[in-house]
Amino acid sequence: MNQESPATIHQEPDLHQSSLVLGWSGDAGDLGRKVTDYLNLKLKGQEFAEIEAEAFFPMGGVAIKDNVARFPESKFYACRDRELVVFQTDSPAAEWYKFLNSVLDVTGRHCHVRELYVFGAMISFSAHTTPRQLLGIANSVEMKETLSQYDLNRDMDYQTQPGERPTLNSFLLWLARDRDIPAASLWVPIPFYLAAMEDAQAERKVLRFLDERLGLKIDFYDLDQEVRRQNEQLARARSRFPQIDDYIDRLESNLMLSEQENAELVKKIEDFLREGG
Amino acid sequence: MGIRFYQEPQLENPILVASWPGIGNIGIIAVDTLKGMLGAEELGEIEPWEFFYPKRVLIRKGVLESLEFPSSKFYFKRMRGGDIVFFIGEEQPSEGGRIYAEGKKAYHMANLVLDVAEKFKCRRIYTSGASVALIHHTTKPRVWAVPNGQSLISEMKTYQNTVLMSDIEGRGGHGNITGLNGLLLGVAKKRGVEAICLMGEIPVYLQGLPLSYPKASKSVLEVLSHSLRVEANLDTLDELDQKVQQRIEEFYQQIPLEIRSQLDRLKQVTYAQPAEPGPITEEEGKRILEDVENFFKQRGKRG
Repeated sequence: MNQESPATIHQEPDLHQSSLVLGWSGDAGDLGRKVTDYLNLKLKGQEFAEIEAEAFFPMGGVAIKDNVARFPESKFYACRDRELVVFQTDSPAAEWYKFLNSVLDVTGRHCHVRELYVFGAMISFSAHTTPRQLLGIANSVEMKETLSQYDLNRDMDYQTQPGERPTLNSFLLWLARDRDIPAASLWVPIPFYLAAMEDAQAERKVLRFLDERLGLKIDFYDLDQEVRRQNEQLARARSRFPQIDDYIDRLESNLMLSEQENAELVKKIEDFLREGG
Repeated sequence: MGIRFYQEPQLENPILVASWPGIGNIGIIAVDTLKGMLGAEELGEIEPWEFFYPKRVLIRKGVLESLEFPSSKFYFKRMRGGDIVFFIGEEQPSEGGRIYAEGKKAYHMANLVLDVAEKFKCRRIYTSGASVALIHHTTKPRVWAVPNGQSLISEMKTYQNTVLMSDIEGRGGHGNITGLNGLLLGVAKKRGVEAICLMGEIPVYLQGLPLSYPKASKSVLEVLSHSLRVEANLDTLDELDQKVQQRIEEFYQQIPLEIRSQLDRLKQVTYAQPAEPGPITEEEGKRILEDVENFFKQRGKRG
């Protein structure tokens, strides 16, 4: 790390006209980590740089996840054959402007990034059997036009509500626009009872868009299998526990569950999936 | 990151009046009222992006239209006998999610405000905020005044309804001013600029409520307008106070009778002769504070 930049470049990525895909670790369904891991696995992503955690995360200890101590990480991977940069990161807790600018600095200077996609999960109160819809927000009219060729909802109207703050995705889109980088944030709904687990359907939805848009030519056979496996697990949960079936049935009929019922459904599904379904 | 000026007027003998949100929004309401009353013009702003997280996004038909940040703006008004520069910050820059300014960013912002004060050759700075006091909400709040230099004390003693820290029982002239109000006083002192912080009293049992306290803003504005030799119309603050007092009364009636009767005794506290012992002893004061604290703890547990 030098005085100017909080980023360390381990090796030059050899990218000349690349696209950047950014995912946040730890969001609902662990979508950010799962999607970026999948891209790195399939496209042989090589780590080439990272942003040091010190300035952006509280250094008050470590978090433990799945029995293992975790430390915040912000790593860049190069998928050279596809001119793709994958950035997998925890969400910074401070100095957001500096952090996001560092992402754009690294990918601009070292990868000549010409477009950017960031994605995130939205908690949904729909059943898992409802098809996942991808929602796209562009940072320019031109980018919206580009997105119009793909299967996603592009006409969202939104204004920050009292007591809320904009997302980091919006902040990043705004900074990218300032640098004339076309960018889009992609949002996929994840059923609330899968938010703490994973949602293979949501992962597939995001990945299929990226594959199509960026010409990645990924074979999704294994992910299709994973979607099938998860659907079967959930179907087994429904047949084994009438109460789960009743709750999901009501969600499928667009009925709201009470707070207590929501909590019960979450617990039952999580227990079932953790035990191997 | 820096300051963006919309215009650079020649100002005569100006004074800078600064304010941010804080307990009861006492300072910011007083300063904003004065700024509005005088019809001050926009002068410039501190660029916000490195200080603050965005506060609002507007997305229209799938396109990010705008991203707004909390503003930190300067205004000015030409006045006979000395111009006024206002600084109004919508939020205090802080680190670690606190609402009061703290850390490097806060220090940096205080220095940027001082840069503007020095650029326009401001001869003095006023900051304003709240002082949490053992008073009743029906009592007229006093203004605690803290200067950043000994030479200002004699002048401050001439202000109406104002006390120095040494006038406040049990303080012995000591205390703290948290956030930018305090920091600005310190940075001004370091740079040789006179500064005074005016803090309107808020009853101890109201400090944690999400309510403004215009009664104290009025007290601050009375002192400020006297000091700036400005005729201030306080009607809007009176109207606002009436509305807030209704909500305070509603809250007050929810406090258990046992504690409320203790708090009712605060109505007898008057400050005509602040040096004299009041009708509540120090011991009793401590007990009231403990009771109030316990009440809020219990209330918090009940949600």
